[in-house]
Amino acid sequence: MPIKVPWLRGVFPALVTPFHRETEAVDEEAYRRLIRHALPDVDGVVTSGTTGEFPYLSRDEQKRMVEIGLEEAKGKPVIAGCGASSTREALALARDAEEAGASAALIVTPYFLHPSEKGIYQHYHDIATAVDMPIILYNIPQVVDRYLPRTVVEDLAELPNVIGIKDSSGNLAYTMEILEYVGDRIDVLVGHDEVVLPALAGGVSGMILASAQVYPEVWQEVLDLISTGQVSEARAKQREVQKLSRIFCRHGGGVAVKAALKMMGMDMGPPRRPLQSVGGALIHETRAEIQLELEKLGKVPMKGAAFEYPDGPIGSRFGDLELSADDIDDHGLRVGSGSAGEDVNKVQIDLIAGAKTTPLGDAYALQMTYPLHRREALTTILEPALTVRPSTLLLPTLPQRNLRQANMIYGPAQSALGRAIVDALERGLVPAAAIDRDVMVALVTIHPRATDRLAVAMSVRAAGTKAIEEVFAPSGKQGS
Amino acid sequence: MGYKTEWFKGIFPALVTPFFANGGVDEKAYRALIQFVLPNVDGVVPCGTTGEFSYMTLEERKRATEICIDEVEGRVPVVVGTGCPTTRDTVELTAWARDAGADGALVVAPYFLKPSFNEVYEHFRALDDVGLPIVMYNIPQCAGTHFRWWTAEGGLLDFENTIGIKDSSGDLPFMEAMFEKVKGKVSIFVGHDEVVQAALGAGADGAILASANLIPDIWQKVRRATLEGDLTTAQTWQQKVQKLVRIVVRCGSTQACKEGLCMMGVDVGDSRHPIVPGGAFRREDREELRLQLEALGKINRRPVTYDLGEKQVVTDLFATHHTPETVENWTMKVGEGFAGPPFQELAHVDLLIGLKDGPVGRAIDRSLAEWGEERGLRVLEGRPATLVVPTVTIRTDKQRRLFERAAAGVRLAIELSIEDGFLPEPILDDIALIVNAFVHPAASIAKRVEFNNYKAARHAIRKAVEGRPTVEELIAEKAAARHPFRYAP
Repeated sequence: MPIKVPWLRGVFPALVTPFHRETEAVDEEAYRRLIRHALPDVDGVVTSGTTGEFPYLSRDEQKRMVEIGLEEAKGKPVIAGCGASSTREALALARDAEEAGASAALIVTPYFLHPSEKGIYQHYHDIATAVDMPIILYNIPQVVDRYLPRTVVEDLAELPNVIGIKDSSGNLAYTMEILEYVGDRIDVLVGHDEVVLPALAGGVSGMILASAQVYPEVWQEVLDLISTGQVSEARAKQREVQKLSRIFCRHGGGVAVKAALKMMGMDMGPPRRPLQSVGGALIHETRAEIQLELEKLGKVPMKGAAFEYPDGPIGSRFGDLELSADDIDDHGLRVGSGSAGEDVNKVQIDLIAGAKTTPLGDAYALQMTYPLHRREALTTILEPALTVRPSTLLLPTLPQRNLRQANMIYGPAQSALGRAIVDALERGLVPAAAIDRDVMVALVTIHPRATDRLAVAMSVRAAGTKAIEEVFAPSGKQGS
Repeated sequence: MGYKTEWFKGIFPALVTPFFANGGVDEKAYRALIQFVLPNVDGVVPCGTTGEFSYMTLEERKRATEICIDEVEGRVPVVVGTGCPTTRDTVELTAWARDAGADGALVVAPYFLKPSFNEVYEHFRALDDVGLPIVMYNIPQCAGTHFRWWTAEGGLLDFENTIGIKDSSGDLPFMEAMFEKVKGKVSIFVGHDEVVQAALGAGADGAILASANLIPDIWQKVRRATLEGDLTTAQTWQQKVQKLVRIVVRCGSTQACKEGLCMMGVDVGDSRHPIVPGGAFRREDREELRLQLEALGKINRRPVTYDLGEKQVVTDLFATHHTPETVENWTMKVGEGFAGPPFQELAHVDLLIGLKDGPVGRAIDRSLAEWGEERGLRVLEGRPATLVVPTVTIRTDKQRRLFERAAAGVRLAIELSIEDGFLPEPILDDIALIVNAFVHPAASIAKRVEFNNYKAARHAIRKAVEGRPTVEELIAEKAAARHPFRYAP
């Protein structure tokens, strides 16, 4: 019968493996920096796990990661990832880890050629009986494409040196089943960052997480709160990091973790190809979202931006379109303004409408030929391929400094302005003759720190509605 | 043991069911549809999956079946979809169909509550007592219940009245197992439009297809060529319709068929909710389906007047119910197109078409005079005067190369729009285009960037000319519209 080891509990980061930018060689110095950064808030580290891109590392490299880990961990446990698709290779890795002095070997379910249940059992059995070191099983169906069968786990738990299982599936039904069958004999660790709290509440004894090198202190707090029964406080903590955890789990894995660490001043280099730093599983938009979430957590400084909502007589606000208050009067253009929302969710919309044959038509067309750096005009749509009428351009008044700011415009503001316009069509506010004859341009001002897409969308719809009502009111305002 | 009948072979459309916008089955439209397909089919299937049987009451299914049997007047066999989730309802409806004069029943594997395969077997055993010839129906995409081969084998060979199986899975290993197990004792029909030729070539007796509402004549060509051993001809026709049927199968089958029929002049309305226009059958699919139907000669041309004020030009367009008689107001028209996949190579085109001496022409002249091509603007060769503008600022050489490919796609869209009459030759010197093309900073696959931009630009040109989307469409679709970038990751 196995005996639970006292140390296999708490928070373990699944360390990324840093690489040099040009050569893709392991960057040992960066690895040391990373471990030193994480060490105060963790109970041990895991080398060459999935987050550490283990399938892209050679046997020598993996051994080296264990050695560096042991040198830097100051006596805290070092769990060596020893995953491979063949038993022969996994065993060699485990022997290396044993020789180096690792605390345990973390062995992933054998992958790619889909061995049978018997084959999976034999894999773990062969390794566990050939080495004299603790073994941790590892279920991660997202990459292995199959679950480590519970019945196999049940039998493997009988081996004396199998001390735990890491479950990265995020499937709580599976976690609970494992706890039910083997929880009294081996430790179960959660490996899915999005479900740490429920897994802890369900009885797991710790966690091996990608995000535990970004915010290990948050996980320590969650662990403390749960162990002292403060569930609602623990929930609040988990929720603070829910979106980042989701991004790490589903939108880029180790690549996203490296992006976050870089923003925090720790450059771990690129992933190995074919993975790409950005543009692959981690898209630009998501990377911008990581920045925002790290700002919220206080991990990186919040970038401020001084700005003002457009002020003064409404007729004077359309200078970007080269339209003066006199032009507006002379050509019978109609203008309206609306604002809505509080604090960073306050949105102002200054709207101008008129016939395509007026200078507004020229301004509209010119905007379409003028890719303003960071202030690109967008056609207003409900969704792609549902362009509203009268045709309306959305022009941000503030430069979009990063993709996250652009994300508030492209999507939330664009579709909400579209809804405000179609609301007006539905209410009969827009004269039938104007639908093909006219165009509109909406100058949209959104706070540079706005982050809540829903709140922005609601503000835009409300502000847009007010502006449209002014434009099409029977006594519609003109420029002066 | 089941048996094979002489009449159960060939091409059978899974008829769509026309509904009134706020009510029941539209009998007149249904009869017109049946008359439309009859010359080219060997049988018809009312109330199948494409017929939205699962959205109809038992009474409506009976009514639709009565109309169908009456309209067909015995000219071809009628195989009625009678499958229900429960055995009780299925037996009742199948017995009713027998009495109503149906030739057979197409019975889907009982769905939703996922009975085990032996419960499925018992379901079909109970149906055998009805006495009507039964066609078992495997469509795991919808039913969630893939017959195991032993269920199908048992159902086909153990019961008196099974005459065949329709397999819509597209799973050719399953179908080959069926050939092996039943050894020609019952009929095997393919129900997946993308693999018809492969299945017929492998020995299938016929096909029950959604797309046979649209192109029954072409499926007859595929079948005839296969029977004559002319595989090359059969393959050629399958490939000609492959894109069309892929859209039908994967992009909202029932709504796709209905909109396709409407474009062809057979007005069958829309699907019942929760199927909605612009849902699974996306707007870009609608444009592509139309182009495919045009290429196959299924949409007629008619004269449309382009009224440019001083000039009037008549052009022959592949016109649908969306095409106006006269296109006016050429000062500046706005059109938008969207095409993917994949995500990072998707194209989003915003364009303006307008008079050269109006806002569009003036804007092109001014932007070229003031900042030339330094901002990445690209003037296309040839007519009409066209400026392609990058929606996202270009920063790298890779982005520049890909933008060139996007511009090439736009150029192709314009050439083909000239060819098909949407941009008629006589007005090419009178108009100009501004095309904003979006290339995602992470785009890689140049071929896709080019092709998606071709598609999006071609759609945008047509939508600008035809004034789509209409105000009515906007109002109808406002509530359900979902902008993909409205939400956080």
